[in-house]
Amino acid sequence: MKNVFKSIMFMIILFFLIIIITYFLLPRDSVRKYGIIKTSVYEILGEKEDSIDAVVIGDSLIYSGISPMEIWHNFGITVFDLAKSAELISSSYKNFEMAIKSQHPKLIFFEGNVLYRESKNKPWFYVWEELYKTYFPITKYHNNWKKYLFTNLNDSMNYSKINIYKGFKYITKSKPGKKLDYMKEKEKIEVPKENQEYFHKIYELCQKNNVKLVLISTPNMKSWNYGKYLGTKDLALKYNLEYIDLNINNPLNIDWKTESRDAGSHLNYKGALKLSQFIGKYLKETNLFTDKREDSNYASWNEAYDIYKEGLK
Amino acid sequence: MEKLIEILEELNPDVDYENCENLVDGRYLDSLTILSLISEIEDNFGVVIPTVEIIPDNFNSAKKIWALITKLEEE
Amino acid sequence: MSYFDVIYFLAFLPGVIIIYNLLPKKIKPFILLLASFAFFFTYSKWLIIFILLSSLSIYLAGLTMQKIDSEKKEAIKDLEIDEKKIIKAKYLNKKKIVLIITALFNVAFLFYFKYLGFFKGIINSILKLFNINGSLKIIHHLAPIGISFYTLSAISYLIDVYHEKYECENNYFKILLYLVFFPTLVEGPITRYNEVRDTLFAGNKTTYKSFCFGYQRILYGLFKKIVIADRLNIFVKIIFTDYMHFSGPIIFLGAIFYTILLYMEFSGTMDIVIGSAEIFGIIIPENFKQPFFSKNISEFWSRWHITLGLWFKDYIFYPVSLSKGVKKITSKIKELFGPRTSSLFMGAIALFAVWSLNGLWHGAGYQFLFFGYYHFILILLGNIFEPLIIKICHKLKINRENILYKLMRIIKTCLLIFIGELFFRANNLTSGIEMMKRIITNFTFKGFNHSVLTLGLDIKDYIIITLSLIFILVISILKEKNIEVRESLSKKHIVIRWACYYALILSIIVFGAYGEGYVPVEPIYADF
Repeated sequence: MKNVFKSIMFMIILFFLIIIITYFLLPRDSVRKYGIIKTSVYEILGEKEDSIDAVVIGDSLIYSGISPMEIWHNFGITVFDLAKSAELISSSYKNFEMAIKSQHPKLIFFEGNVLYRESKNKPWFYVWEELYKTYFPITKYHNNWKKYLFTNLNDSMNYSKINIYKGFKYITKSKPGKKLDYMKEKEKIEVPKENQEYFHKIYELCQKNNVKLVLISTPNMKSWNYGKYLGTKDLALKYNLEYIDLNINNPLNIDWKTESRDAGSHLNYKGALKLSQFIGKYLKETNLFTDKREDSNYASWNEAYDIYKEGLK
Repeated sequence: MEKLIEILEELNPDVDYENCENLVDGRYLDSLTILSLISEIEDNFGVVIPTVEIIPDNFNSAKKIWALITKLEEE
Repeated sequence: MSYFDVIYFLAFLPGVIIIYNLLPKKIKPFILLLASFAFFFTYSKWLIIFILLSSLSIYLAGLTMQKIDSEKKEAIKDLEIDEKKIIKAKYLNKKKIVLIITALFNVAFLFYFKYLGFFKGIINSILKLFNINGSLKIIHHLAPIGISFYTLSAISYLIDVYHEKYECENNYFKILLYLVFFPTLVEGPITRYNEVRDTLFAGNKTTYKSFCFGYQRILYGLFKKIVIADRLNIFVKIIFTDYMHFSGPIIFLGAIFYTILLYMEFSGTMDIVIGSAEIFGIIIPENFKQPFFSKNISEFWSRWHITLGLWFKDYIFYPVSLSKGVKKITSKIKELFGPRTSSLFMGAIALFAVWSLNGLWHGAGYQFLFFGYYHFILILLGNIFEPLIIKICHKLKINRENILYKLMRIIKTCLLIFIGELFFRANNLTSGIEMMKRIITNFTFKGFNHSVLTLGLDIKDYIIITLSLIFILVISILKEKNIEVRESLSKKHIVIRWACYYALILSIIVFGAYGEGYVPVEPIYADF
């Protein structure tokens, strides 16, 4: 009996300790105060408030294919890649929700490939995960210890305070893609129901914040096809959104022999140049954005570009 | 028994075989040394040591090794 | 369900503990069996049929071999010595056939699931070499979880019963539990039937002490993996994928980090596994004994993955080195070159067999074979040169017991281990060789500081890693001195005790490398 009592006391005290620590680790500063620092996870949070013109939401296709630095250099428009490898649409929605707190882009591109990615885990797994994240927020915020512990360390240890790539990954490797007829006609593949629900949430968030939402399918030989194009077109029609598929008839003239890093799945730097040019031009022609290359408030972008250019060698 | 101690001393002279009780566990006799030991025992005492008997319990002290040899001689 | 999932240690395990303790003694082992089935199911679903077949095969083989033995005893009862010998041999042959067929049956499954593809690949290469058209299609099979481990346990039971080391088991469910027991299923330790059966089937109750000690050990394992291994993985993953972009020292650092990661993950798993079993009063053998305190490679392998080493020692090394064929050759060598050379030779052949198998056991790939032979050569050279080194130390009046000398040997051993693990982790043998080349040819510290701090880990991560490793080191030194840490801790004042436990738990929750931005380590030994 004494042991049962001891165990219960142990758990109770543990609970209290967790609550106390959680309190200390909950994000206190509002996200807006972050300033220009490099944060490893939500990189976009490191950007100055309201400085991003357009955001591209997607997966590895986006961070391999769209280089915001190229767009900045040629058009003076600020773009950020909000993309993670094998990103699920539920994650995209959460990331966007978080980003919109400090940024108010006028336009968002959404990568169609994400619409078709289904998670391997059953829904109950996510419910369970969400549950314990809600009741034990410490599991979400525990990494904040980095903000509060050892803060006396010289901050010059933080190499590159400026985020240079803005979400892009610079890869020069080249492996030719061979399946040139990957867009031959086939039956429509509908976007999975669960993903449609999340897309609806993203759409609503855009409406609420006055953001123009554009659907886009970037060049992708391995997992894109005509059926998915038709499914995405349907979705675009339903929400009355513009949809650009860059796979049909290869409008960007991608040379799959030299411009892919992994036999057609992703573009490499060479391919990214073409895609980024297209995005930049498209953004310019919307007339929603100004060329800020001479704007002193955006000096850090010019600085970043210089470092970026160095890294291209 | 003296012959056994002789053999052991030749293989690894730095050990006090009269008193040491963890020849195997203390790595005074490693696997290759045990091989040499078995080879010498088999030659000198005319027994065959089956592999199931090659366990730390049988080789951890000179006394235990001797007990094993005696047991095998009787079979 | 991984041992490191919250759902394992906060839901599954407590659930099993409760049900186990509510039911009577005789039923308790069945609860473990059911729990193990459920656990297996979360990994490999219907592939459970294979472990059922394996366990059934060794169960029947055991009974058969025992029957053959009793028939033999009947048959030789009143015979003369000469006749006895002939009849004995006949029955021994029968037993041997049962042993070989059953062993092959089990190994065949292992081969099919893990090595068929590799083997087909080799055939394809040979065909290409001879310009023969056509190649074998390689299909990827998902293997039943733990097959590399339980197959070895199964074979150990077979061989032990064959040698009449102990009597065969009459109860099939005991054999089944022996193989499928959920703590040892995924990554071992590789248990011997006679060593676990006393506690495994005893139906011991969970005591307050066994519960506390078990969970303390589980916490320690969680700490190792979630705070250290998962954190180091961020860096390691990048180095091993993109090695072409990094300088020699960075790549070497990657090898060091990987070795530490591997040890934390594997030994951490063992902590959870042994701790879990302890709660049910079941004693599982240790698999690690402070391996990085080893003074040479031989010693390393007696401290790292101990049960695997013991398995190879008992079932490959001694049988091969003391087999008739090898004995014949060695006696000739003994005549010609003396006893030392002959036993070295015996040992070398047996070691070669062991390391070929050990390498392959770790994976179906050339880099694993290379890994095996790398250690084979190191051990062999170590043994060949040992007398020479002892002589040199004598002449130079170096005291081998000197702590500095010992430290030097430990460092040398660690360096050799880091190199071995680099090849083990590399994507393939070619990458491994490339990485090694870069370490030697591109050994510049230019940009080292920059790389170290921009590959996913910042200075604060390194502080955590360092502090954690110091903690582990202290515990390891205590264990090396045979101090039972949990025992001594339990004797301290309750405030101190609880402070330590809270510190450990909260460290895992706060400093754990999980959540956004961190990708966990896929259990390295669990693709087995």
